[in-house]
Amino acid sequence: MLSVKMIVIALFLGVLFGFALNKAGLTKYHKIVNQFRLTDFTVLKFMMTALVVTMIGVYPLRELGVITFPAIPETYVLGNLVGGLVFGVGMALAGFCPGTAMAGAGEGKWDYIVPGLLGFLTGAVLFGLTYSSFMPQLKAIGNYGNVVLPDLWHISPYLAVFVFALMALVLFYLIDRVGMHRKEKKD
Amino acid sequence: MNWLKQQINKELWSPYVAGALLGIVGILTVVLAHALLGASGGFENLAAYIGKAISPNNMYFNFMMKAEITYPVILLVGIFFGGMLGALSSGTFKFRTMDSEQWKKAYGKQTWKRWLLLFVGGIIVEFAAGVAGGCTSGLAISGGMLLAPAAFLFIGGMFASGIVTALIVYGKKY
Repeated sequence: MLSVKMIVIALFLGVLFGFALNKAGLTKYHKIVNQFRLTDFTVLKFMMTALVVTMIGVYPLRELGVITFPAIPETYVLGNLVGGLVFGVGMALAGFCPGTAMAGAGEGKWDYIVPGLLGFLTGAVLFGLTYSSFMPQLKAIGNYGNVVLPDLWHISPYLAVFVFALMALVLFYLIDRVGMHRKEKKD
Repeated sequence: MNWLKQQINKELWSPYVAGALLGIVGILTVVLAHALLGASGGFENLAAYIGKAISPNNMYFNFMMKAEITYPVILLVGIFFGGMLGALSSGTFKFRTMDSEQWKKAYGKQTWKRWLLLFVGGIIVEFAAGVAGGCTSGLAISGGMLLAPAAFLFIGGMFASGIVTALIVYGKKY
């Protein structure tokens, strides 16, 4: 059972998360699909900024021994990649993902609330029912466990965060100043 | 203060500002909850109620993703109200069955088509999130912010196939 404290914390974090998704405009079909058309880089800018800000916060806290990393996502090369490949198809078709659909549902979008959420539930049921027939095998391929890159490569976490932040800044520069994005075609 | 309030209430923020807010939420999640953000996992817990009714001895729904109101489920509830709060602040909250002009240009203006495609898209996305070990929130963002290689494999795959899918859907209008 969840403690009342944990419920309050989860609600608080969820509300801020949904609020950020709403304000970034990611609850809109065109914002998602136009990222894949390379005419609008909101998704990438939003994600990369979030990643950099969080890692600048959590890595020093970990080095100082204040926190440990919770539930690091498991790396199993083929499954992560194939999952991503299938995910991209659905995301580009529908223009949402589970998080943005939930925030969009809160904005009053019936198409997110009814077919969207029913789709997620159906997908999750199908996954659970078929899990034992293929996932254990898939997870065994290229499995590095619950690892993060600085530990895997034995490099300084500060260096890793610095390089990642630098890569993000170069990417933002290319998008905003050099004009990496494509122009929307006129009808 | 008025200026700040106006900025907050705007419908769209700079993606960098919204992203920075999410980044701070990411730090708070680890510090306060000793957990990560996520969305697809909560749906798996909810789906377990249905899954167990269909297959009572199913291993996954009995031992891995149990039919329980877990932290990810509460997070989903929060995300819902966060989206609502954002829409209310900018005066864009409205009940609607579909609202995207670009969607109508790409697929036609029939509502049933959109509803069907969102249902199918939802199935694909959630199943794929299960395979990958998380979705855009739980794997791409939460894993990426910890520099987990899983996240970057997922993001690479997602962008590659997303671009190809958009190319196919939009054809000459890509």
